[in-house]
Amino acid sequence: MFNPDVLEKEGKKVVLLGNEAIARGALESGIGLSACYPGTPSSEIGITLSSVAKKLGFYFEWSTNEKVAFEVCAGAAWSGVRSLTAMKHFGLNVASDSVLPVVFTGVKGGLVLVVADDPYGHSSAQSEQDTRFYARMGKIPTLEPSNAQEAKDFTKLAFEISEKYEIPVIVRTTTMVSHSAGTVTLGKLKKPKTKGKFRKDPSRYFNIRPNLQRLHAKLNRKIEAIEREYGRKINKVEGEGTIGIIANGVSYQYVKEIGPLLGVKTAKLNMTYPISREFVANFIRGLRTLIVVEELEPVVEDFVRAVAKDVNPKLKIHGKDLLPRVGEYTPELVRNAIAPIVKIKKYDFSKQDKLIKKIKIPTRKPVFCPGCPHRSTFYAVKQVLGEDTVWAGDVGCYVLGIFEPFEMQDFMISMGASLGLTHGIKKVSKQKAVVFVGDSTFFHAGMPGLVNMSVHGTKPLVVIMDNGVTAMTGHQPHPGTKYNAMGEEREPVKIEDVVRSFGVKNIRVVNAFNQSELQSAVKELVKKDELGVLVSRGMCRLLMKRIARSKGIELPTFEIVKGKEKYCEKLVKEFACPAIIKRGDRIYIRQDMCWGCGVCSQLVPKGVIVSKKKGKKK
Amino acid sequence: MTFNILLTGVGGEGVLVTSVIIARAAVYEGYEISGTQLHGLAQRGGSIPTHLRIGKDKVHSPLIPRGQADLILGLEPIEAVRACYYASKDRTNFVIDTYPVKPVYANIRGEKYPSDRKIESMLKPFAKKYVFVDASNICEEKFGDPIYGNVMAVGVALSNGMLPLGRKSIIHAIKRTVRRGLDENLEAFRMGLEFKG
Repeated sequence: MFNPDVLEKEGKKVVLLGNEAIARGALESGIGLSACYPGTPSSEIGITLSSVAKKLGFYFEWSTNEKVAFEVCAGAAWSGVRSLTAMKHFGLNVASDSVLPVVFTGVKGGLVLVVADDPYGHSSAQSEQDTRFYARMGKIPTLEPSNAQEAKDFTKLAFEISEKYEIPVIVRTTTMVSHSAGTVTLGKLKKPKTKGKFRKDPSRYFNIRPNLQRLHAKLNRKIEAIEREYGRKINKVEGEGTIGIIANGVSYQYVKEIGPLLGVKTAKLNMTYPISREFVANFIRGLRTLIVVEELEPVVEDFVRAVAKDVNPKLKIHGKDLLPRVGEYTPELVRNAIAPIVKIKKYDFSKQDKLIKKIKIPTRKPVFCPGCPHRSTFYAVKQVLGEDTVWAGDVGCYVLGIFEPFEMQDFMISMGASLGLTHGIKKVSKQKAVVFVGDSTFFHAGMPGLVNMSVHGTKPLVVIMDNGVTAMTGHQPHPGTKYNAMGEEREPVKIEDVVRSFGVKNIRVVNAFNQSELQSAVKELVKKDELGVLVSRGMCRLLMKRIARSKGIELPTFEIVKGKEKYCEKLVKEFACPAIIKRGDRIYIRQDMCWGCGVCSQLVPKGVIVSKKKGKKK
Repeated sequence: MTFNILLTGVGGEGVLVTSVIIARAAVYEGYEISGTQLHGLAQRGGSIPTHLRIGKDKVHSPLIPRGQADLILGLEPIEAVRACYYASKDRTNFVIDTYPVKPVYANIRGEKYPSDRKIESMLKPFAKKYVFVDASNICEEKFGDPIYGNVMAVGVALSNGMLPLGRKSIIHAIKRTVRRGLDENLEAFRMGLEFKG
């Protein structure tokens, strides 16, 4: 949802999400183009930019994946137009193949790459990746805001550095920065510069040797110059003492939360690549003890240890000996970890812990929305193929199929990986296998896996769950949708056409909300001894509900006919729709939660669950 | 001094919108705020605790330190109980919407949803004061949609002296924030102000 405060006037103080603040920073920098692929916790950057692009007169697109998005931005930046792409940490894995060489070629217009890490995995189930290693490997200057105000300001600064030194710059956040809300004082919006020109220069844009070595040496000189110029002025020191704390990102806010500390000076490290050697040397000179507070890997700590060897060899350095390398930090965790060193009292939670132990409440995990087409598809496939099947999972809302009652996601590695992994399993095993992959994920990285499977002859069932939108991240368009991010109509790409062009012949397209259609299609597809693709099509019900609401249409609801509840027991256990409620012996459909897909009514004898016709305008 | 509000409920209940309303109201009154609004998968019927911290001066951590919530606005009863992690008897007030959303996994596993009395007894050791209000039900009866229960709960917190903000700035923030049913939201807020628990 778009936050109108993003467009408020200069000087106004408003509440923005970290991601909205980054978008505002881009608008204050006059970007002419932005291209992204959505990924939590970065999505609101693109959502915000796409909402204002037309109005402010710059170009925005949701690209097919992060690599393409980055390339689009780099092309614009080569042509002298400021551009921004934003992605989640794993998005950088996808984009990296192009990011690393573009750091060598450099850019003309500013190019900012926002990468949102997700320690603890609030919305990522792959790894706890630390983007700062990419920064070091790729020699990409990296700024780390610690709150929403800085998220905006550092984005502007990133454009300044990028353009001055002709190099892409990373703004690295974590979930607690991207999804933190804070008061932000706004700067001036800058008119977008949208037109540029690509000037041929093979010595620069073609990384062949000896260009390569020359570009590499030039890149090294850029990094040294950035370290000299910005290393001095970008990082901040507060307080006086012989104990030092260095912190970055949101960890700095947790240190500040403790309050004033006697005899302690604190450094806020805003640029974590390149880290300024001069700044660190000046800071640690004369210290007796130093604590480095950073989430995930000891990137800063290792650097400081190396500097201390020359500058202050007797310095006692703490970091990962006190603080975890796993998960994300909290204010109480940071306080209690450093309390003995800075000589303050620890929080004592022993009493609270005892009380908390007495609390017994049911767990609440995320669940398919009422009316979700994925629930219907999983249910149908399981009915036909039974439990003894390898269920290949992929990235999208359908990961929720891992939970009961379905338990149909045996693994989930990365975007599109379900296909390659299943191909490998099938090459060495006779097990039945089903791949579940969503529409947006199919376009993102699923296509290479499917064409590979098709030409190398494995024969699993591939279920493409087409809900017509990139749903999990907030309903972004993809190549299969009728409208693009600028709201312009286009000819959507049909998944079945793509699949057919890969040489697959055994294809069925079904309505995801029709159980008998679904189940008979699965039966037919697996009967043939060839690769089968089922396109299970049904619009994301959350999106449908929103569209209906905006048009003043009420979706129908379903209810259980009095006296026939006994037929619905299996729905509670096997279908798990949040609208179907069991309280004591009563089973009923909560009318405010039923979104009218009607699939439940197909799973019980006729006349047990019936539709309450609405469908009319309010 | 920072005033810490934890809003919690089930994804889809409008927790985020409610937190934006309170945050905007605070900024209209000249306060600084910091907080969290987790988006993404957790919104799909999961539990979403949203932190909001209000201060005269700069507020640092976006997360409320454990045990330091001043107000827990529980838009679903067991989610209010889950939020006790952030509560302590000497400081935390609760407003709890008694409208239950039973987790589907509880159905599958046969886990019991606790009774109102049980919920009260679990909360008690963590609460300075607590108010139960059947806000979503009242709003469903009145407006045909339980969603307005959130704003009603904000009104209840305000009229019980549990939220240090002015009525006017909250009304102003509701007008800026809600996209549909403005009249219903304003009416629900007023009903909350007049609610006698």
